[in-house]
Amino acid sequence: MSLSTNTAKESNLALCPKCHRLNKVTDDANQQNSIRCVRCHGRFYQRKPNSLQYTLAWNTVALIAFIPANLYPIMIIYSLGIGDPSTILSGIGQFVDQGLYPIAAIIFTASIIVPLLKIVGLYLLVYRAYTGVRLRPDKHSKFYHALEFLGPWSMLDVFVVALLVAVVELGFVTSVAAGPAINYFTLTVIFTMIAANSFDPRLLWDKKELKEKNGY
Amino acid sequence: MTNSANKEQLIACQQCDALYEKPELKQGQSAKCTRCGSTIEERKVNSIERSFHWSLAGIMLLVPAILLPIMGVTLAGQYHHASLLDCIVVLIDRGFFMIATLVFLFAIAVPVVRLFGAFYITYSFKFNKLKPSLLYFFRAFHHLDNWAMLNVFMLGIVVSMYKLLDDTELSVNMGLLAFILWLISSTMASSALDQDYIWQKLEDEFVD
Repeated sequence: MSLSTNTAKESNLALCPKCHRLNKVTDDANQQNSIRCVRCHGRFYQRKPNSLQYTLAWNTVALIAFIPANLYPIMIIYSLGIGDPSTILSGIGQFVDQGLYPIAAIIFTASIIVPLLKIVGLYLLVYRAYTGVRLRPDKHSKFYHALEFLGPWSMLDVFVVALLVAVVELGFVTSVAAGPAINYFTLTVIFTMIAANSFDPRLLWDKKELKEKNGY
Repeated sequence: MTNSANKEQLIACQQCDALYEKPELKQGQSAKCTRCGSTIEERKVNSIERSFHWSLAGIMLLVPAILLPIMGVTLAGQYHHASLLDCIVVLIDRGFFMIATLVFLFAIAVPVVRLFGAFYITYSFKFNKLKPSLLYFFRAFHHLDNWAMLNVFMLGIVVSMYKLLDDTELSVNMGLLAFILWLISSTMASSALDQDYIWQKLEDEFVD
């Protein structure tokens, strides 16, 4: 991490995000305009345009959707005609009561910790990339990749409910229905995934370089 | 360097934009960025052959994995089982269209399209039937990179088994075996695919 590192942007080059081919940036196609890749002919930008704003917006919607996802029941278990609704948290509580701690931990991680960590983490990354306060690009880009990797695992609860609804279908004796929270929860997961996709980790390095150049 | 840079000989790190001279890699070697530590380029061993055979296996396992019942429950003398497709049909019946669509996309459509995509690309390379349209095809293929969630669905199966084990009699069906094998072969097919090599080869053929 030194000043001598040459970046593609400084050399008037831009990397195609799909085929990883370096393209020359001509004068008329500056940072705002899209560039056409010579290899795969796709259009792209040197940096994702308005990356921080998009991340912030998707992240905020994800946070809003996360509230009803936890308040409404995610699953309703009917046995002998009587419905027993359970939210995400009370479902985890049932596992703890039964003594199935590893499963409770997995679901708690996938449906509570990971979405919250993603939302808070992305807010933090956007803030750091925007202001440059205590910016450690090497640490922060690793953190970003961890967030990106964890994203899909939050879908776990949705898949579990989908499976239970399909398998437990024994008429009056017992059946499982999905609750309204499942829609909101899925939206949370999708929105955080889009938010993570809109973030451009190269902005962290750009900011760092700018700060070093200005002699902070 | 700025002016004399021959862009054919340079590569940039996808994560931090650092510029490097293109390394000459042998099969099995990979180059890491000295600034952020992520992999810049990787040459995978025997990529086309391995990816071709794994995706062929995946295509053969696809139908049983989707249609065979994964597990069943017995309670008070009644038995009911469900396959991957049943999950989606039941969700549509109950009016959860959004969830049904998304489960269909993430657990069936995206993995299937990726599998056929990997098969088509490696088939074209193996039997030397390269076409210029492959450039567009492979580009479109990358759009689906993040959205296949078979591994998450597998964990979902395990969790729901624990949930059912408590108060019902659970039986495991052939569908689970088919699903696990399908998961393994589609993961292997996409991880064996050497993207840098394929792009380089396509560029050498068609881009002048």
